[in-house]
Amino acid sequence: MQITKMEKSITAMAGKGSCPLITIQPSRGLIDEKFQITVKNLLPGQAVTLHSLTQSEDSDFWEAFGHYVSDGKGTVKVAEDVSLGGSYDGLEPMGLLWSMKPAPGSRPGLRFRKTDVCTPVVVRIAVYTGHIGDGFTEASALAHAVTERSYMAPGVRRTDIRQSGVRGTLFVPLGPGPFPAVLDMWGGGGGLVEYRSALLASHGYVSLALDYYSTQVMEKSPDNDPSLGYEYFETAFTILQDHPQVASDRVALLGLCFGTAVALRVTAYSAVINPRCVVCISGSHVQPVKEPISSIRAEMQKNYYKFRCDQNNHLITRDMFLPVPPDPSKKVDVGRLKCPLLLIVGEDDQSWPTAESAEDIEKMMETAGNRHLLTTLSYPGAGHLIEPPYSPHAYASKMIVDQIKIKVTMLWGGETKLHSHAQEDSWQKILAFLDQHLYCSPGTSSHL
Amino acid sequence: MYGVWEGLSQSIHACTLPRFKKTSGIMGAVRNKSAQSTAPLLTATPSRALVDQPIEIGIQHLPPDKPFTVRSRLHSEDGELWEAFSHYRSDQKGTVILSRDQSLGGSYSGLEPMGLFWSLQPVGVEGLRLRKKYVETPFTVEVSVLSDHVRSSDSPVGCHVGQGLEEGAVLAAVNVERWYMAPGVRRVEVREQGLVGTLFLPAGPGPFPAVLDMWGMGGGLSEYRAALLASHGFVTLALAYCGHEELPGPLHTVNVGEQYFETAMGQLDRHPQVCTGRVGVLGLCFGGYLALRIAMEMPNISPRCVVGISGPGGLGINMTRDQTNDFLKENQKLFRFDEQGNVIFRGITMPSNVPPNYKLKVESLRCPLQLIAAEDDQCCAAIECIDEIEERLGAVGKSGLLTRIQYPGAGHLIEPPYTPSVRVSLFHTYPKKLMALWGGELQPHSVAQEDAWNRTLGFLDHHLRTD
Repeated sequence: MQITKMEKSITAMAGKGSCPLITIQPSRGLIDEKFQITVKNLLPGQAVTLHSLTQSEDSDFWEAFGHYVSDGKGTVKVAEDVSLGGSYDGLEPMGLLWSMKPAPGSRPGLRFRKTDVCTPVVVRIAVYTGHIGDGFTEASALAHAVTERSYMAPGVRRTDIRQSGVRGTLFVPLGPGPFPAVLDMWGGGGGLVEYRSALLASHGYVSLALDYYSTQVMEKSPDNDPSLGYEYFETAFTILQDHPQVASDRVALLGLCFGTAVALRVTAYSAVINPRCVVCISGSHVQPVKEPISSIRAEMQKNYYKFRCDQNNHLITRDMFLPVPPDPSKKVDVGRLKCPLLLIVGEDDQSWPTAESAEDIEKMMETAGNRHLLTTLSYPGAGHLIEPPYSPHAYASKMIVDQIKIKVTMLWGGETKLHSHAQEDSWQKILAFLDQHLYCSPGTSSHL
Repeated sequence: MYGVWEGLSQSIHACTLPRFKKTSGIMGAVRNKSAQSTAPLLTATPSRALVDQPIEIGIQHLPPDKPFTVRSRLHSEDGELWEAFSHYRSDQKGTVILSRDQSLGGSYSGLEPMGLFWSLQPVGVEGLRLRKKYVETPFTVEVSVLSDHVRSSDSPVGCHVGQGLEEGAVLAAVNVERWYMAPGVRRVEVREQGLVGTLFLPAGPGPFPAVLDMWGMGGGLSEYRAALLASHGFVTLALAYCGHEELPGPLHTVNVGEQYFETAMGQLDRHPQVCTGRVGVLGLCFGGYLALRIAMEMPNISPRCVVGISGPGGLGINMTRDQTNDFLKENQKLFRFDEQGNVIFRGITMPSNVPPNYKLKVESLRCPLQLIAAEDDQCCAAIECIDEIEERLGAVGKSGLLTRIQYPGAGHLIEPPYTPSVRVSLFHTYPKKLMALWGGELQPHSVAQEDAWNRTLGFLDHHLRTD
């Protein structure tokens, strides 16, 4: 009751007096761009709550909030001030985005993903009196502003690829090129995921988001078919190389989860695929390398008995690739790699044993003499789904497990703040790695 | 709980449908695949921004210590091409950064991070002025880098009508969107109580301070400055008062009287999302005159503050509700013409040419006033008017109300920053085609636009938002 009276009188004062103003700079940005949120014309030393709100394509509401106190001029600057609590705390300029969680009452097991990359994510940022944790209705906000966050920069072109049996989406930057290119592969259960490729094109790379997991390439081939299933990926790689705006010797592979398994396999063994560099996020090199790629799935299914559940009945699948076998036929011979490799490891990855795999990869490359090609970025407290920055952290979410065809809640892992910092840092490092190895610089010809 | 969300996101999505513009000449033919070096990387951040936001433009992975041309191109809503270019040299690391490097010449020279935007000039067509008609969509500017120092075939540096850049090899290009409306700003057409205008509401519940926004005698209804003000948190009414088909009377005369402006101010003041008593007025040219008249001679209206840009202090017009006025016919003897036949209007507003009973009652000013004027204003004798206003206010002890700002080398059309300006443009076609000389040189004029906007926002903020 006391708080309500105080709120009303403060609102009345604000209404009569200072007209609080909240601004977001830039108001339209790319998904990975930082913004500055400033609130002015509050009372000095006023306790306020900043609140973010967005609605996903599935119509779920996601929100975050932080508690602030204005300075002597009645100003709050999120990029400079400390959040005293909420869904994030500390000095976190982008906390209102990455700490978003489904609004109370939402369906469980949600994950925030944008399917239509041609339209922006729209986020409302509002400021409320006092330090509150709920009751964020339109009417009680002092002020609000809106920002649009896009995956595609203006001028980037999106094209469906249905060519030579390959299915994917191509993103091409504006300009004549030639551009370096990225073959972009996600993991199981996600379908054709475009947003990372759209973002890469916004940074100057032709990028092909490849759908493979749901295609026939992952079906078990007949016993008398000697092909190991590289052709699909070789065709995709060649489509990129042959694109008139791509510099054909500057194509990289980027994979997450199962995409890592594919990337390592084809780089090591395909005669056609010769990437200039490879980025592997949250994956493993453990797979039966003498069998077709499709058999990796079968191998995983053989190990489903190793699945565990946490106290919330969330599925922990990482043991299916453990222990890392000493037998060389059961893992990619990374000693064969001739190009730089960047491994991104979330140390709390509950889905795949990324850390253990990374450790073994390093040992193998040390023995083989190509250790100088390896860079490993290991993030304590980060989980499996290391995505472009500022997207909400998915700790656990629902997914249909292969072949079992029931929806389970997968435990991805990660502590939100550490995971979000890992997303921000790893994305910067991935872009720097791609820039270093794919773009030409003066004084550096083809360096490995 | 979030029922309002739908309307909000719908209105935003309506504005942000993808626009895949054809960029002629950029895609080019299949490149020689045996040349495997990559194109340089051109970046512009933020790639979508309000027009008054500066952008960082940089180029990496160029060959070091070589000449390059950076070009900007824009197609107006009428399909006219505007272009600017500038010469740079890459450093030892193969980079060019416009906020760090000097331009060696072109449409501008020196350290000018936003030069590619404010120095845009129409290509091959005379008399154009760049004004955004549909404010819910952005201007798209294509920024590109070309090898070597290429230039317009026969136009020297600083020429105001370009002949188009010679075709050089385009190495890289990006598109930049320049917006007048921030996300969440709402546009509402106003056609009540005889008013013709457009209201812009900032995002949020309010209440907000408000601004009445008026342009000059060119007439019609220009919305872009009002949209920009709303993007800065002011409820803004862009008000038409002449030259609009929905207003009574002939198009080329002012046919509304003082009641019209009283109604407009009243509507703003009483709007549920406006803080009562926190309404200011902003006007340019004749709109500046109207703003002053509101502040000095309309006792039923109390603006909290007024900004006049390039505004005359008195005019040879007897403006009443019942009389129509043929402004140009009455004052033709005061026109001058330059060597190209462009009309110089400034004589009309020279205080020595204005009959005393037509001058505003400056002494009756009741609120803070900021007057902005350009020293090369060929359309209005704005500086002379401010001199007289300052003298008259001083005589009654009201100097404290006046803030005066003037800009050397600037012309009449002081518009939002980083927007292209022209020294001459078509004023109207009735009764005959008339090109007006506005004055101003490109670079000092752009300095004026940037500073004037910041000063205007600061002034409005200070008087309308704080106690």
